[in-house]
Amino acid sequence: MKQYHIQLESGDVGKTVFVPGDPGRAPIIAEHFDDARFVMRNREYVTYTGESQGVEVSVTSTGVGCPSLAIAIEELIKVGAENFIRVGTGGLLQEWVSPGSIIIASAAVRGEGTSREYIPLEYPAVASLEVVEALVEGAEKRGIKPYVGIIRSHDAFYIESTLARVDYLAKDKPWIESNVLAVENESGTLFTLASLRGKKAGTILAVSGSHQHPELSVSDERMRELVSEATEIALYAARKLGS
Amino acid sequence: MTKEYPQHHIDCRTGDVAPTVFLPGDPGRVPVWAELMDEAWKVAEKREYVTYTGRKNGVLMSCTSTGIGCPSASIAAEELYRIGAKNLIRIGTCGSIQEYTKPGEMIVATGAVRGEHTSEEYISMEYPAVADYRIVRALIDAAEGLEVPYHRGIIRSHDAFYMESPEAFGDYRARIQKWTDANVLALENESSAIFVIASMSKIRAGTILAAGNAIWKPDADAFDWERHVKMMLRVAIRAGVLLDERGLA
Repeated sequence: MKQYHIQLESGDVGKTVFVPGDPGRAPIIAEHFDDARFVMRNREYVTYTGESQGVEVSVTSTGVGCPSLAIAIEELIKVGAENFIRVGTGGLLQEWVSPGSIIIASAAVRGEGTSREYIPLEYPAVASLEVVEALVEGAEKRGIKPYVGIIRSHDAFYIESTLARVDYLAKDKPWIESNVLAVENESGTLFTLASLRGKKAGTILAVSGSHQHPELSVSDERMRELVSEATEIALYAARKLGS
Repeated sequence: MTKEYPQHHIDCRTGDVAPTVFLPGDPGRVPVWAELMDEAWKVAEKREYVTYTGRKNGVLMSCTSTGIGCPSASIAAEELYRIGAKNLIRIGTCGSIQEYTKPGEMIVATGAVRGEHTSEEYISMEYPAVADYRIVRALIDAAEGLEVPYHRGIIRSHDAFYMESPEAFGDYRARIQKWTDANVLALENESSAIFVIASMSKIRAGTILAAGNAIWKPDADAFDWERHVKMMLRVAIRAGVLLDERGLA
């Protein structure tokens, strides 16, 4: 049966699905696959499926934020997906991480509303051990030293970003002091939902915009290269997770 | 040189404990841990905080009891961090809440439900209580190496023992059901505050527990305290050696 929003059915996706936010990033990620084929586009959900060295892998964009991500994850599970790797970007919180770094999330602050409808806030949004280890290994194999740690997911981009309408550093302070590495909008629900449904999930982020030093942000060209690196690392992880 | 005063509660100074410190709740379990080391000596004893340091296969490790609950465990974690601890590994027992877990099997925590109030005084509830993945890996590898069955996943830490245990009043099963449905493996009282404090301090933490009798079968008597607790301690100590071998101690 075709799922309501993603318009996919069993057999359309591999066991591992990459879940970027941006629909425009789905084809860019799919370029890294062997024999990628376009599968479906409906609303913000764009899906491609291909292979990486014989392991079937897919990409489905989720749109920005946890409400649309939760729909994608629930429906992808119904059509057979088991491992989810978010490949995305984030705003950098810590001064000791340089802009243009790769971050692998060990867990996420649940600063968003969607996962609260599923289970109380005290439940941890934790990434899966196998995914974290596979991403770290993939990064190291490419000569990249990733930062592994807690990230923060939240809902209102224009309250906590360098483009915010308020004093975002005041909002960031407790998270900076708690060693949260970066801010984004989807992983809190991704990790919570994967734990609740007995599936595996992880997140790899290319970070540019430093909240503390916006002037140090890297170029758009460098960010494209970094997202490409993150995609290759995620592909290594997908192969490691198997088919 | 200024004199370093011992930490207020645990009564230890820098140099008294190794980079890896095990944290049982029960002060009486520290000497049991010490017996399983090649050599170990008592370092301090104050209130419910008993500390031993010792060696296994040449690797220096310590053990400090925390007492029951996150208020006293948070004090131990803070003070151990302040005197240089790098790996805090809670060792203990728990009530198991999944049908597939058998008494005496190990539970390795990847994260903990923050069903207690101590960690909330540190940082709001949305912050995750997550175990360090390298400690999780060391505990799993140690269990596999010693051929001890284990389960890995999220556990729940909470404050009121007599609200969620077989001796609890009323329908404790109904209170626990939502955590069983959420794939939470077991209930205990300390890990979430230890995980949160470790993350906030940029050090590592983890938890290994011996699963007690299933919480809804209080009359089942499969759990053998002596045997299963010692098995858990052996796995934990082996993980401590692995952390040292991996350059993480």
